[in-house]
Amino acid sequence: MRLNGVHIEDTFAEAFPMLGTRLVITADTPAWVQAAVVSMTGFATSVIACGCEAAMERALPPGETPDSRPGAAVLLFAMSKAELAKQVARRVGQCVMTCPGTACYAGLRDGPTIPLGNALRYFGDGWQIAKRVGIRRYWRIPVMDGEFLCEAATGTVDGVGGGNFIILAADRRSGLAAAQAAVLAIREVPGAILPFPGGVVRSGSKIGGKYKGMIASTNTAFCPTLRAAVPASLVPEGVESILELVIDGVSEAAVAATMRAGIAAVADLGAAGGVVSVTAGNYGGKLGRYQFRLHEVMA
Amino acid sequence: MSGIVLTIRDPAGPPIDMTGVLPERLIEGGREALAGLMPVRGRGRHRLDALFTLEDGGPPGTLILRPGGAVLDGVGTGMTSGNLRVEGECGAYAGSAMRGGALTVAGNCGAFAAAGMVGGNLRVAGDAGDFLGAPLAGGTRGMSGGFVVVMGNAGDRVGERMRRGLIAVHGRVGSLCGARMIAGTIVVGDSCGPDPGQAMRRGSILLSREPEAVPSGFVDGGMNDWLFLELMRKELIDGGAWPSGYPAAGTRARRLIGDRSAGGIGEVLILSEG
Repeated sequence: MRLNGVHIEDTFAEAFPMLGTRLVITADTPAWVQAAVVSMTGFATSVIACGCEAAMERALPPGETPDSRPGAAVLLFAMSKAELAKQVARRVGQCVMTCPGTACYAGLRDGPTIPLGNALRYFGDGWQIAKRVGIRRYWRIPVMDGEFLCEAATGTVDGVGGGNFIILAADRRSGLAAAQAAVLAIREVPGAILPFPGGVVRSGSKIGGKYKGMIASTNTAFCPTLRAAVPASLVPEGVESILELVIDGVSEAAVAATMRAGIAAVADLGAAGGVVSVTAGNYGGKLGRYQFRLHEVMA
Repeated sequence: MSGIVLTIRDPAGPPIDMTGVLPERLIEGGREALAGLMPVRGRGRHRLDALFTLEDGGPPGTLILRPGGAVLDGVGTGMTSGNLRVEGECGAYAGSAMRGGALTVAGNCGAFAAAGMVGGNLRVAGDAGDFLGAPLAGGTRGMSGGFVVVMGNAGDRVGERMRRGLIAVHGRVGSLCGARMIAGTIVVGDSCGPDPGQAMRRGSILLSREPEAVPSGFVDGGMNDWLFLELMRKELIDGGAWPSGYPAAGTRARRLIGDRSAGGIGEVLILSEG
């Protein structure tokens, strides 16, 4: 398949089941929302070493938040309910509760729940107050600038992690421009996040490595500088830069829609923009439950 | 199947205990089952159709009572589902021990309304008597769930020993509002009598102005912003329960914490504009 001169390889992205949740964080100003979100989603690029994958899904205007203040929806994904609960409690406790003026609400009502305020309330040292408003239960925890309001629990969803596509570009500048165009397009699609810095990965990995104990190592097949040295190199002639976008979503459909939006944005730049081809990362279909075939996604 | 309208035949007689005359009886057994119920009036039990005329009317599953005076006690007692409308006044125990469904009273209701209530909705267009949402006589558990809105005034000991749920009184309340309260929320639109929250452990009492007197075990926590008030406002506006005298925006309130003499960390919040 060719789109605007960009070769779309007939391959698939292999993705895995993950458990996800959505949190809504509000604060007095968008800047303080951003401060809390950046802190909370820091060091959450990959479950390989971070415990969870997290990023801001979208900013929320005051009209869409429970307390009518500026806010943001954040998605977090982990490999198990216990790990997700641990990460949520730690990150909300250390990064949201500590941020001036914030409040934290459940962004999902359905599915099995994990503790939110229920895990943080003890910080109130006995002065915390449970408050039910309608059918929802909150914890009010006294803090130094007033009160931290936090919903008691949040729902979870069986999500999909590790959806991806890989941009092969003539040079680093055009590769970065293509990746950034994809990121901007993807951020308009609800239900999915790009957990890596700026939404882009430059150090894609393969499973294992030559050194004992390494569970992942650099994806030598996609390293342009090793093209001549690695027999199984997948880097074509004329490609100097390769960037990957990794996608986690609340559903298979959300990941597919996100991939479609991202690849379309890349293809819009076309061969004239230095984009040579788009491919995807997989493990031969042996590990992941989900397969996103690029040609089907773009059909 | 439409609803049923019960119109009292003799409004001047002694009170009728309406316990058990519920919309779920109509839904489960139909008109015949309803007509065969035997409420107590005076010294004896009487068939319902001997005390009331029964006519079709109202939405399906709805029971409409036309009492002609405050002679019906225990309206909606133990109700679990459906709709019960009173086109007039109620006596004592309206909605007591109610678990679900919706009870609407067009006029006033007497003492012990919503006493021991567990769930459901009670809406009173007029005034409510003493012990609104309090325990049933001899009991220790006040209202432990549900949503009560009184558009008029309420008497003494509103929400006494309340454990959960919400009571919104748009008008005045008497003394000892929220006394010995354990949790839940009471919203008072107009003035509040003396000693709200006496011996309360937890829970919130929202006032639009200073109460006549505050129990000595309360300490003044000062003014601050209380974000949950915004959530509460949205919820109550949606339910038509946000008192008209309350601020339309803002989350500032003065907080009195207590009753410390009972080891409580409940709160009386006095709302302010802005």
